Amino acid sequence: MQENPNSIPSNSPELQREVAALMVECLNLEISADQIIPDAPLYGEGLGLDSIDVLEVALVVSKRYGLQLRSDSADNRHIFSSLHSLSDYIAAKRTR
Amino acid sequence: MTHHQAANHTAWVHNKERSNMFMMRVMTWISLRMGRRIARAVLHMIALYFLLFAPASRQASRAYLRLALGRPARCRDLYQHFFTFAATIHDRVYLVNRRFDLFDFEVHGLDTLNDLLANGKGLFLMGAHLGSFEAIRALGRKDPNLRVVMVMHEDNAKKINAMLTAINPEAALDIIGLGHIDSMIKLQERLDEGYVVGMLGDRTPGNDPLYPVQILGTEASLPSGPFRLAALLKRPVVFMTGLYMGGNRYSIHFEALADFSNITRSERDAALQTAITRYATLLDQYCRKAPYNWFNFFDFWQPASTENSPKS
Repeated sequence: MQENPNSIPSNSPELQREVAALMVECLNLEISADQIIPDAPLYGEGLGLDSIDVLEVALVVSKRYGLQLRSDSADNRHIFSSLHSLSDYIAAKRTR
Repeated sequence: MTHHQAANHTAWVHNKERSNMFMMRVMTWISLRMGRRIARAVLHMIALYFLLFAPASRQASRAYLRLALGRPARCRDLYQHFFTFAATIHDRVYLVNRRFDLFDFEVHGLDTLNDLLANGKGLFLMGAHLGSFEAIRALGRKDPNLRVVMVMHEDNAKKINAMLTAINPEAALDIIGLGHIDSMIKLQERLDEGYVVGMLGDRTPGNDPLYPVQILGTEASLPSGPFRLAALLKRPVVFMTGLYMGGNRYSIHFEALADFSNITRSERDAALQTAITRYATLLDQYCRKAPYNWFNFFDFWQPASTENSPKS
């Protein structure tokens, strides 16, 4: 897949904040977006999400940014390991 | 049996998955080597064994039957309960080997299921540890157009498929293991292809948020995960159970449970609550209809926070 020419630089704090806000909103998290530590794991002891929560995040971000997630992609677990890696992936692959 | 041995038995029987696996191993071995008639004689011995030497299971059975029968359980009720469990596990060996001719299936609600399947967008089938899953699956395996995948925890998936493959290598279940994002995306792809996704909604796998419900007039907790998944993926949910009615008879039931197809996010929590309550009502109804088919041989009506009751 080609990189989107309009993509924001991969480590953009704006994009990270935007993705964090989406996560807080779609999961009704009791913390604010800027309280999500970019490199903390989303699962378990990090943000404490379960796989259904992460699926919800996946559905919301793929709709918002026009991503095509596929189950046979080897990178899924890495992409959804933290806010940082998810934002990097969005920056690289977004179509809208 | 010494007191020490009895205590050990309590310990392993207390672990519900391990005790089920033990039963499956024993019955598979007997059925494959001796045939249905002789094997069913052995079933009585197994039921008796559990009645005598599995105090934790016996206690759970007694507590449940008192609620389901509406009177104190007698010894023969407990026996009937263990026997029904052993019989369904035994029949699984034949069902897995496609010996459908040995059984008499009575099917209710198939039209409901087919109508919902007609739109081609897949649906969820929600079962429980109530009756025989393999009897329902037998129905699916007779219909080449029906594509089914089960969702369960990976550990269980491995154990169950090891067992099914041992009986018949072609009978392995198509299973999606819960726990990772890959499997979640795969599940969505399967539904989009029109698959039926089976789940069991009555046992909690771990730290899943619980919903308090009333079953048999008593408070119990049900995991929210299976219904959250169906709500998130916006699919209809159909209740399923394959009740063992004695002899070679099974009564299979499908009932519309919930439809999340057009649920908006703001409506989701209320819809989830309604669906879980309806699931509890259906469990209640079928437990009363076929009381010996409830195969949760542990303290189901215990609040989730205080599991591991002191052992006697």
